[in-house]
Amino acid sequence: MRCCPPDEACVRRAQPWLGTLVEVALPVSQASAARFDAAFAAIAQVHRRMHPRARGSDLLRIARRAHRAPVRVHAQTFAVLELAQRLWRDSGGRFDPAVSRRGAGLAALQLSRGRHVRCSAPLQLNLGGIAKGYAVDRAVDALRAAGVQAGLVNAGGDLRVFGSDRWWPVQVRAAAMLAPLCIELREAALATSGAAGGPPRLHDPRRGRARRHGGSLSVAAADCASADALTKPLALNPPRGLRLLRRHRAHALRLSAAGRAWATFEAATPHLRLSA
Amino acid sequence: MASNWHALPLAVLLAAPVVQAVEYLGVQAAQKLAFPEATAFVPVPLALDADARTQLDAVARPPGARDPKVWRALAGSRTLGTFFVDAVIGKQDYIVYALALDASGRVLRLEVLEYRETHGWEIRNERWRAQFTGKSASDAVRLNDDIANISGATLSCRHVSDGVRRLLALHALLPA
Repeated sequence: MRCCPPDEACVRRAQPWLGTLVEVALPVSQASAARFDAAFAAIAQVHRRMHPRARGSDLLRIARRAHRAPVRVHAQTFAVLELAQRLWRDSGGRFDPAVSRRGAGLAALQLSRGRHVRCSAPLQLNLGGIAKGYAVDRAVDALRAAGVQAGLVNAGGDLRVFGSDRWWPVQVRAAAMLAPLCIELREAALATSGAAGGPPRLHDPRRGRARRHGGSLSVAAADCASADALTKPLALNPPRGLRLLRRHRAHALRLSAAGRAWATFEAATPHLRLSA
Repeated sequence: MASNWHALPLAVLLAAPVVQAVEYLGVQAAQKLAFPEATAFVPVPLALDADARTQLDAVARPPGARDPKVWRALAGSRTLGTFFVDAVIGKQDYIVYALALDASGRVLRLEVLEYRETHGWEIRNERWRAQFTGKSASDAVRLNDDIANISGATLSCRHVSDGVRRLLALHALLPA
C-alpha cells in the first residue's frame, strides 16, 4: 500500500536489534554500505548497553550490584535512566520500567554525578519502552555525522525522519484489520504504542496489570526518545500526558479500534500532515 | 480534556488483508557485504541425518525452520568463513535473513534480506505459505519506492534469534 510517492526512491536495509526489526532508508544518491553500517553500529551499541539481561550490559550490572555499591554506567545508559526517572515523575509513577512489580520500583533508583547508579533495593530494569527511541536518535546522529542529509530510521514502529525539505510518508496502524492512517512527517519522530496485531501492553504499575486503551496512540516529537517516552503518560494518565505534550511541543494522534481518528492538531503542524 | 482532541475528518476503513513485503538485500549483495575480500562462495551441500536434526531441534526449532542454504566464503584457497541464508516464520511475519560467521565461528554480520508481514489469516494458509518455498531474493539491491513506512506494526524478530542459535549449532556440525 502506498500513501504518496517519495521524492526520490530509497535504498532500505534491515537488521534485527532491540527485539525488533530496525530499518534504515536512505535516498539512492546518499546510500552507501558504510553509512548503513554506521547507523546499525549506533543501534547495536544501545542494544548491548541497555539489554536487560545480556552479559556485559549496564542494566545487568545495575541489577546485580547497584543495591550494594554505586555502579558507573555509560553516558548513554545514564541519559536513558535520567529520561526514565523524569517520565516516572511526570506520569505520577505510572510509567515504571522496573521489572518486578513488588518493591519500590523506580523510586529505588538514585542517579548521581559521575554517572553513578545506586539503588536502595535490588532493581531489575527493562528500558524497552524508551531505549528504542533513544537508539533511533543515535542512529540519526551517526548518519548525519557520516554526511547523510536525509533518511529514515524505524525501530519496530518508533521512527524518525530527517532532511529539511522532505516529507516522508508514514502509515499508522490502529488494528490488524483496519487500513492504516496515512500521514507525512518532516524532520520529526513518531512513536506508536498499542497497535496492529495485539492488544496494547502498556503496564500500569498502580493497577498492577496491563491497560488496554484499544486502537493506538502515536506521538510526534522532535526526537524519537521523547516521542517514545511521551506515549506512556499519555496512555496511562491522559490529562497529564496532554500537558506534557504541550510542554514538549509534541502532538498526538489517537486511532480507535473502530477506525475513528483524533489529533491534538486540526489539520497539520510544521512537521506532520495528513496525506491527501 | 475533550477539547484537546480534534476529531479528524477521516474514518479509517476496514481493509482487505494486506501483505507488506520488503526486499532489502539480495543474496549476492549480502555475501559481498559480509566478505568483501572473498573471491568465491562455494555451496556446502547439507546432508543432515536424524541424529543431527534432533541435536539441532534441541538447540532451537523456530517455526518454519527448513534446512538453510550454506556457502563457504573463500579468498583463493583460504577459508574466510561461512555464509547462511535461512528463513523463519513468526506469528505474523516471514523473515529471510543471512548470517555470516568468520573462520572461527564468530558472528560477523546478521542481515535481514526479506520481510513479509501479514495480517493473520494468510500465514495459516498452507497454499499461501507454499508460494515462498524455494523463493530466493534477487541479486541486486532492490529499490523500494512503493512501500510505506509503518509506525505501530508489531515487527517481531523473536524467532530470528532462535534461527541464529540453530545455525550456530549447525555450523559446529559442518565438515571442517
